[in-house]
Formats: sequence, structure tokens, C-alpha cells
Amino acid sequence: MAVYAKPLARLIDELRKLPGIGQKTAQRLAFFLIGESDESVRSLASAIVEAKDKISYCSKCFNLTDIDPCNICGDSTRDKSLICVVEEPKDIIALEKTRSYKGMYHVLHGAIAPLEGIGPGELRVKELITRLTEQVQEVILATDPNVEGEATAMYLARLIKPLDIKVTRIAHGMPVGGDLEYVDEVTLTKALEGRREM
Amino acid sequence: MNGLYKTGGLVLRTRNLGEADKIVTLYTKKRGKIEAVARGSRRIRNRLLGSTQVFTYGQYLIFEGRSLDTIAQGEIVFSFQSLRDDLEKMAAAMYICELVDVFTEVDVPNDATFTLIYNTLRMIDERQIKFALRTFELIFIKQLGYQPQLSTCLNCGNTVENDVYFSREGGIVCHNCRAKMAPVRKLNKGTLELIKRILEWDWSRIGILHPSDQSLAELELCMRDYLDYRLDRPLRSLEFIHTLKEFDHSEVKD
Repeated sequence: MAVYAKPLARLIDELRKLPGIGQKTAQRLAFFLIGESDESVRSLASAIVEAKDKISYCSKCFNLTDIDPCNICGDSTRDKSLICVVEEPKDIIALEKTRSYKGMYHVLHGAIAPLEGIGPGELRVKELITRLTEQVQEVILATDPNVEGEATAMYLARLIKPLDIKVTRIAHGMPVGGDLEYVDEVTLTKALEGRREM
Repeated sequence: MNGLYKTGGLVLRTRNLGEADKIVTLYTKKRGKIEAVARGSRRIRNRLLGSTQVFTYGQYLIFEGRSLDTIAQGEIVFSFQSLRDDLEKMAAAMYICELVDVFTEVDVPNDATFTLIYNTLRMIDERQIKFALRTFELIFIKQLGYQPQLSTCLNCGNTVENDVYFSREGGIVCHNCRAKMAPVRKLNKGTLELIKRILEWDWSRIGILHPSDQSLAELELCMRDYLDYRLDRPLRSLEFIHTLKEFDHSEVKD
């Protein structure tokens, strides 16, 4: 179909491969890029290539980084006795935004999902266990509070507890600013279980 | 035929769709297995978040779509939370959900299967895991029309007197036919009686049975052979169950 000029059709096809981008959005983005200045389009293209070339996984925590070890693992001010285990690198960003955690991280790159055929062997579990030296006093399991996340957390707890390291799970409960009557019963039960004295 | 319907359903599995949506596989009372989209249900404040968690039994209001239905509202009736808080229970419940998913077709209602899944999850919830799994396997294959032949030998048709063997082709085999029907497994008389009772008795009576560990272990191997023979591919949840078993063995060794 020769509706688009060849280079434009190629650009739309490439943009369509991005998550959440359909034909219409890809077309809109392509027309926007064509209308931009040479400089800004080149800058976008070089940013994509540079990120792809320079970003790799940290050899310690498996977060995305341009230096090895990453900024967090290389920071001497952070508490090395704490390791927070997360599913994806984007979870680290969410936790870092809280500014209330100063320990280390470990990215599993997924969660145990038996029905998808993802077992512990497909995740960075072995690498986590090798990191658990005497220096580590607590492992915080911050996987998602869904079936896969809970399976992963329970599996890791079983694996780590015999090593005499404290294993904790992030709390489940009410979202801040939420309305109690709209919270589902499971979350509310968990919130009641995890209540604390004031 | 775009319409709206309300049904009770059990969440068998979920798959992520796009940024924040999920495709939920439900086993419903009205329509059997269905797949429906739960829009935004991965967002922390979404109303469908709780009611679309795996193993949940809920009441759902569903819009019919051309290809996929959409869940408009969901309310938890029984959350089966303990199945998500215990690894062994979770693995067992996942196995049940996978069996139902692979053996059933979309939009084929079966009230008996719905009740069976619900009752089995309740039994797992009460920690009678092994017995729940074996009972489910037997009654489920009976409902599917694959009930094993237990009265006469599968090969010669004679009454089986003393040594009883179980063939993966779905039934018992006599001593003389065992080589012809290989591979077969030796079946204890007690185990054969257990199978018959599970298949004939009402659910409320099955609860009073107290099978021995040996019978349950024998039955597990027979059912594994039979189900694997009927299936096109190995069940993924079994691998997880094996991982947990290995865990237990390594702990014992330590």
C-alpha cells in the first residue's frame, strides 16, 4: 500500500513496535517527528542509540546502569546490611522516590509464574543467594502483592531463612488518601493484620 | 449480541495486557470458562484489583464483546486468601486451575464442574491437599467423559480377581494382560476401592474418607500416567510442585 512514502512507512512500522503504541498513535508520532527540527530529531535518535549501547546490568544488583557497579551499589554511604529484593528495575525507581530507604537492592527480573513456565531458575535467585554474606542482616522482599509476587516472596523466604538472615515482607494495606468503604476485603484484612500501635 | 450479564465465577488465571489491563480467565456458573478483560485492574486504586486476583470466587458483571468480554464490576464472595499465603496450597490450586484451563473449552457451561472446582479449592484451603487433588482429578475426568473402566479388564474384558494393574489408557488390567497393556502400575485393592468410592459417592460423603498415604501415593502415580496420556503437553504447574518437593527433601537431608 503506497499511502505513505517509504521512509515514513518504515518509521511508523518501527514506532508501532513500542509497547502501547498502535497504528494511529505511531502515525501521529511519525508526523510529529517529521515536523520537528533536524537537531531535535537527531538528538532523539542518538539518545536511543546511546542508551542501548551504554546501558547494561549491574553485576551486583542487576539494575540497569551505565557504570559497573551501579550508582547505588557503589555508594559507600548506603547500608550494605540491607538488601531489598524487587521484580523489575522500575521498582527501584519507585522505591528511590520515597527517599526513605538507604539500603541496597537486588533485581530478580521477573517473578515465579508457574502457569507461564517461569520458575526460580529463570530469575536472578542464585545471584541473590551468593550476595548473602555475613555483612547482610536483613532481606526485604518487595515483590508485587499478587499471586506471582507472593509465590516469589514465600519461595525466597524459605530459601533465605535457614541462612539465619532476617527476612521481611513489605506491608500490605490501605492506599494513602483512599476511602475505606471502597477497599476490597482482602486488602482490608491485610491492613487489619498489619495494624500498629499509635 | 452485545449484552450485559451477571455471573458467579472463579478466577483461574490472569495475563497482563498492555500497561495496566489484565485478561482474566474465569470459570463461571452461567457460561463455563470465559476470558474477559479487566481494564486498569493492575492499578493500585482500581475497583477490580481485588476481585480479579487468581483463585478469587466473586460475582461479576460482564459486558459481551465481539472478541473478548469486559468485566464491568466485580465483588469478592470468597477470596481464598489462604491459597495465596501458603506455597503448597498455592501450587495445588494452580494445578487445579491449569487442569481446568487445558481440558475445558470456552463458553461450555457445566455447573457440576464449577461446584467441583469450588469444593476442591475449599478442601485445599482446609489443608487436605493431596486428597483434594486426587479427588478432583478423578471426578473431573469423569465429568469430561474419561471415567476409567474399573469393573473389568480393559484388554480381555474379564473380571479382575487378584492382582490388579492400572493402565494409562484408562482402566484396570488383569495379571494376564499386564504385559500387553504395558506400561501399567500395580494397584492395591484398597486404592481401587478408594477410586470407586470417590467416583460413586456424593461430595459430602467423600469428606468422611480417610485414605492412607500409600493409597494416595499410588493413586497420584496412576492419575499422572492417565492425565499425561490424555494431554498434549506437560502441565507447567507440576514443575513448580516438583520444585517445592525438592525443597522439602533438601531440608530433610540438611
